[in-house]
Amino acid sequence: MKFKLFASKSAPGARERSLGFLVRFVLFLVVFYFVVASKPVNDKVIVPFTGWIASASGKVLNVLGERVTVSGTAIRSGSFGVNIENGCNGVETALLLAAAVLAFPAGWRQRLTGFFLGFLAIQVLNIIRVVSLVWIGRHRPALFDSSHTVIWQSAVVLFGVLLFLLWASRQRPRPAASPQEKAGR
Amino acid sequence: MLDRRAAFRLLVGFLVSLAVFLLFATTYERAVAPTAEFFLRLGESPAVTRIDAPGGDFEIKRADIPPGAKHPGVPAADIHFNFVLLGALFALHPRPWQGDRVLRLLAASLCLYLVHVVFLIFGIESLYATRFGEWSAAHYGALARNFWAAGFHFYQIVGRFAAPFAIWWLFGRPDPAAPAEARRGPSRKKKRRT
Repeated sequence: MKFKLFASKSAPGARERSLGFLVRFVLFLVVFYFVVASKPVNDKVIVPFTGWIASASGKVLNVLGERVTVSGTAIRSGSFGVNIENGCNGVETALLLAAAVLAFPAGWRQRLTGFFLGFLAIQVLNIIRVVSLVWIGRHRPALFDSSHTVIWQSAVVLFGVLLFLLWASRQRPRPAASPQEKAGR
Repeated sequence: MLDRRAAFRLLVGFLVSLAVFLLFATTYERAVAPTAEFFLRLGESPAVTRIDAPGGDFEIKRADIPPGAKHPGVPAADIHFNFVLLGALFALHPRPWQGDRVLRLLAASLCLYLVHVVFLIFGIESLYATRFGEWSAAHYGALARNFWAAGFHFYQIVGRFAAPFAIWWLFGRPDPAAPAEARRGPSRKKKRRT
């Protein structure tokens, strides 16, 4: 049995493209992290956005008859309350998607469309996550920790990765530049 | 690469990885703790840090913390729950149980183990650098404080989600440039009746 890092039947240059993608992905991720973690962006963008997630989730929970109150990023349902923090607002998965979409060779229009639609889908799933976690916290509190930390976090990130793979599989590979084109640059 | 079967495999891979995680999390924590402790103690003089893994938390027991004082801890699942992501991503392959794929999964798991060790060290150092008031200020400068705290924060916000994806991309992703037949694996030929 032979263990190879890359498939032997890969196209010429596939290994370099694959590693190039990974390096760009990590670099974009680091840049996005510093942008999102900076205090002005956190206070003026992330916290209000998280408040919007809490508000939307609260409306869905009230429609479902849970009678919740929302204050900022906190949701209270009877004796149970949660505060939505970074890591639970879907932003982290959106950052992964943005970094991957930017790192992947594609046109700008496709990148913007892919990210925008992906961001919307991630946020819809994230609201379902928050709603279900509030319900679990109130009615099945013993299951809250594992649902919160392991199950839902993994599910949302896997969903983001799937969206990226789906988007990437629909991108046409760019034709390699001919020697004449390279010389003309 | 992505079709209904792939989505089904991903779901099965997620559930199997989740079951493995829930069954063996504490055992795994006992394998991560001594390695992180070894590297932490290399940078200490005298070496005082001890990491216990009783299940659920990595408990930090320094020899110089007064007896009876509460020992700080790092929530274990926050460090290593991303094993579930890695397992699920490897299940995307049409034949995840083939020998070569299993070896790749083992190599990827080893990489993720090293990631867990490194960021457990970041977690503990960030605790030391930021949570002990005057002691922290006396032992950690502004640069060291920011380095350890930002490193651990990076892991909490994006690193723990990105690590399994990056490792899978390196070790486990089916090559999209490979011919479709090669990606599907060996086909089963129908026997012709004569």
